Amino acid sequence: MICEHCKQRNATVTVTQVQNGQKVEHHYCDVCASQFHPFHAEFKQEPVSIQQLLSNWFGSPTWQQQKVDEKQQAQPQPQTCPQCGFTYKRFLKEGKFGCPSCYDSFSEHLPKLFNRIQAGPQHIGKMPGAHSNIYVIKKQIEDIRKLMKVAVDDEQFEEAAKLRDEVKELEKQLQFEGGDVT
Amino acid sequence: MMIESFLERPTPTWMSMEDDYSDIVISTRIRLARNLDGYRFPLSFTENEALQVEQAVTHAVQDSTKLQDHYSYFAIKDLTSLQRQILVEKHLISPQLAKKEQVGSMLLSDDESISIMVNEEDHLRIQCMTASFQLQRAYEQANKIDRALEKALPYAFRDTFGYLTSCPTNIGTGLRASVMMHLPTLTLSGQMSQIINAMTRLGMTVRGIYGEGSENLGNVYQVSNQITLGKTEEDILADIQSVAEKIIQKERHARGRLMEKAELALEDRVYRALGTLTHARILTSEEAATCLSNVRLGVDLQLIEGIKATTLNECVVSMQPGFLQHYAGEVLPPAERDRVRAKMLREALFRENMSKPIIGKKGEDPYDV
Repeated sequence: MICEHCKQRNATVTVTQVQNGQKVEHHYCDVCASQFHPFHAEFKQEPVSIQQLLSNWFGSPTWQQQKVDEKQQAQPQPQTCPQCGFTYKRFLKEGKFGCPSCYDSFSEHLPKLFNRIQAGPQHIGKMPGAHSNIYVIKKQIEDIRKLMKVAVDDEQFEEAAKLRDEVKELEKQLQFEGGDVT
Repeated sequence: MMIESFLERPTPTWMSMEDDYSDIVISTRIRLARNLDGYRFPLSFTENEALQVEQAVTHAVQDSTKLQDHYSYFAIKDLTSLQRQILVEKHLISPQLAKKEQVGSMLLSDDESISIMVNEEDHLRIQCMTASFQLQRAYEQANKIDRALEKALPYAFRDTFGYLTSCPTNIGTGLRASVMMHLPTLTLSGQMSQIINAMTRLGMTVRGIYGEGSENLGNVYQVSNQITLGKTEEDILADIQSVAEKIIQKERHARGRLMEKAELALEDRVYRALGTLTHARILTSEEAATCLSNVRLGVDLQLIEGIKATTLNECVVSMQPGFLQHYAGEVLPPAERDRVRAKMLREALFRENMSKPIIGKKGEDPYDV
């Protein structure tokens, strides 16, 4: 059964209400159920702001707070952005980033978020001119490394050494273009 | 150019173009959100950072040899609240930029088809508009400006996340493509809610003409993409193109059916609207918007002759509070605006509509058979 509110996810929560002496059952997914207000039969239909969306999906409802706190003790705390001082928690609260560096600081949390609100976690569109060179070189390095692995597996060490030199050359070029060699 | 020259004309020259879609699509808009690396986003930057961003962007725009258009610069804080309101009513700046008291400025091309907003939610927002349904043309224009500016400005960009923006809903391409459409029969037949639902699932939104939260005043809707990451610019444009085409088809089909089934009722509705616009003495913005929508439908279906679509576009823009007060030359309380609105619309439409005799020739009794 699918959730009768978002009509996307599976319904996992059943809400039973008594209206005029009649029992009415509603089926919601856990995401929508956490927004459901027991004193108002219907959901608020106003457009959901990005802040609400982020706190509902990536923050935790208060009744889950305790469980999350226990979990968080085991996990490292999300970092604070060194350039603007934004924490991940503040980002969730505001629904906005503080500066471009926030994307680097919170990078491990973001793919999950972008999977939910976007078509995927990876940019595949246009790039600024310099970046598009960097991207092409990185892709070449990646491809050659794959070939290198095949050559090593086949014990063709001479071929592998040739490919390694090609990678080194491309890495030099990458540094010249301003890309980081990893 | 002085700000007054932009405020004088309700619709810019680019709006007067007509093509095969002009019966339904009013205009197309492309917006690219960009930021500069090394500066905090406008939500949290200092005034000094704001100033540096503004200088960098303004110089890049004015020094670029690749940009052929001439741009006029305006700091928002130097404009009166009425002037700002008119710029919002003309969609040249966003309501959010209009509220900026300290930082925030705009660069506007002479024909008003390009406006570059500085320090709104992002450091830079490039906005290009065209009349009717011309996504590709608007995008090419925006892309050209973007390509020219990236040479002078250090854009915040990462391979993974694309162009970095203040809000995660703009990340990746930073591209928002919107098509403004007049959909009176789909609204009348109650099909709009169904369409809006379907669109949301396709990663698109339908809003009123003034963006988030605004109602569909005068049956005008803005269809735009919601997804900006994980798709290429071409894919986003192709999606909007095909969805908008489907909506156009549906609206045309609904219009055709309505003409078959209830031509007289429709004609009556259209002429009553024209009657109200040409004779009423008090008009609220809601009533005026509804009547203008009905008259526009009448013109599109050739039930009314002699009124140009451009006149109606002008009326839609100039019946808004900011324009009305500019037209009246003074600040007006709401009740007074309704009177001035009725007068303005009467003058604009009566002149055009009544310049042609509707029934018979002068001196001839149409009932004399």
